[in-house]
Amino acid sequence: MSARREVISAAGGVTNAADGGSPPASPAVRGGDFIFVSGLTAVDRQSGERVPGTTASETRLILGNLKQVLQAAGSSLDQVVKVNVLLHSMLEAPNMNEVYVGFFPDPPPARTVCGARLPDGVKVIIECTALVCRI
Amino acid sequence: MTEKLQRTAITPKNPLLNASRAGNLPHVPGIRVGDYIFLSGMVPVDPQTGERSHGPIAEQVRMTLSNMRHMLESAGSSLDRVVRVHAVLADIAHMAEMDRVYREFFPSEAPARTAWSMQLRFGNGCEIECVALAN
Repeated sequence: MSARREVISAAGGVTNAADGGSPPASPAVRGGDFIFVSGLTAVDRQSGERVPGTTASETRLILGNLKQVLQAAGSSLDQVVKVNVLLHSMLEAPNMNEVYVGFFPDPPPARTVCGARLPDGVKVIIECTALVCRI
Repeated sequence: MTEKLQRTAITPKNPLLNASRAGNLPHVPGIRVGDYIFLSGMVPVDPQTGERSHGPIAEQVRMTLSNMRHMLESAGSSLDRVVRVHAVLADIAHMAEMDRVYREFFPSEAPARTAWSMQLRFGNGCEIECVALAN
């Protein structure tokens, strides 16, 4: 039997499409026992609008949205195994970390942080892979 | 009763698309393990010649995603089994154009995706990797 693939469409907080249409990505997809979450940017969960801010405020908004996305997918922040964080500037890494630590259990997930060119002037993108709680 | 997972390399049916072997690079195009397929970053290689093809970004993205489809189908999977995509551009200004072509390949129930820009090798305009479910 092949592993189950399920799009988690009820979840909010995904990257807006660069061309103004609906995003060409699902917020999260379940594949087997894992949840794959898209790179999230700082958006208002209700309106889907971008909420530009500081690295710290964008990180806080994203991780709050990530919590909701994971819950909608039958997972949670303490089931996350790997996080990738993209920052517009690595000089901002301490500001991201300060907010980040409050969201994850001890021990926190594995993580990679990179500086990169991000679309639409966003300062932070965070994606993760998590385990499903309900099998 | 955990079975030991087998790790097998994926070989494209079209040998001209085995870019890493052609370039004597230290990676394979993809690995299958258990229910999952992990593909290397796919780049715009012309399936007729095996050469890199650096036309307009829309063509590069189309060629790259066609090669991804070929690679997945060579492994008995398909684009609709993809759960996670990393889409990297050399130029962040090409995001909307990439999205436009990307939708042709993932018209509905799209995978989770993170897209950004950073330096790419060999003058490639895009590099796209994915995780998919095996069939």
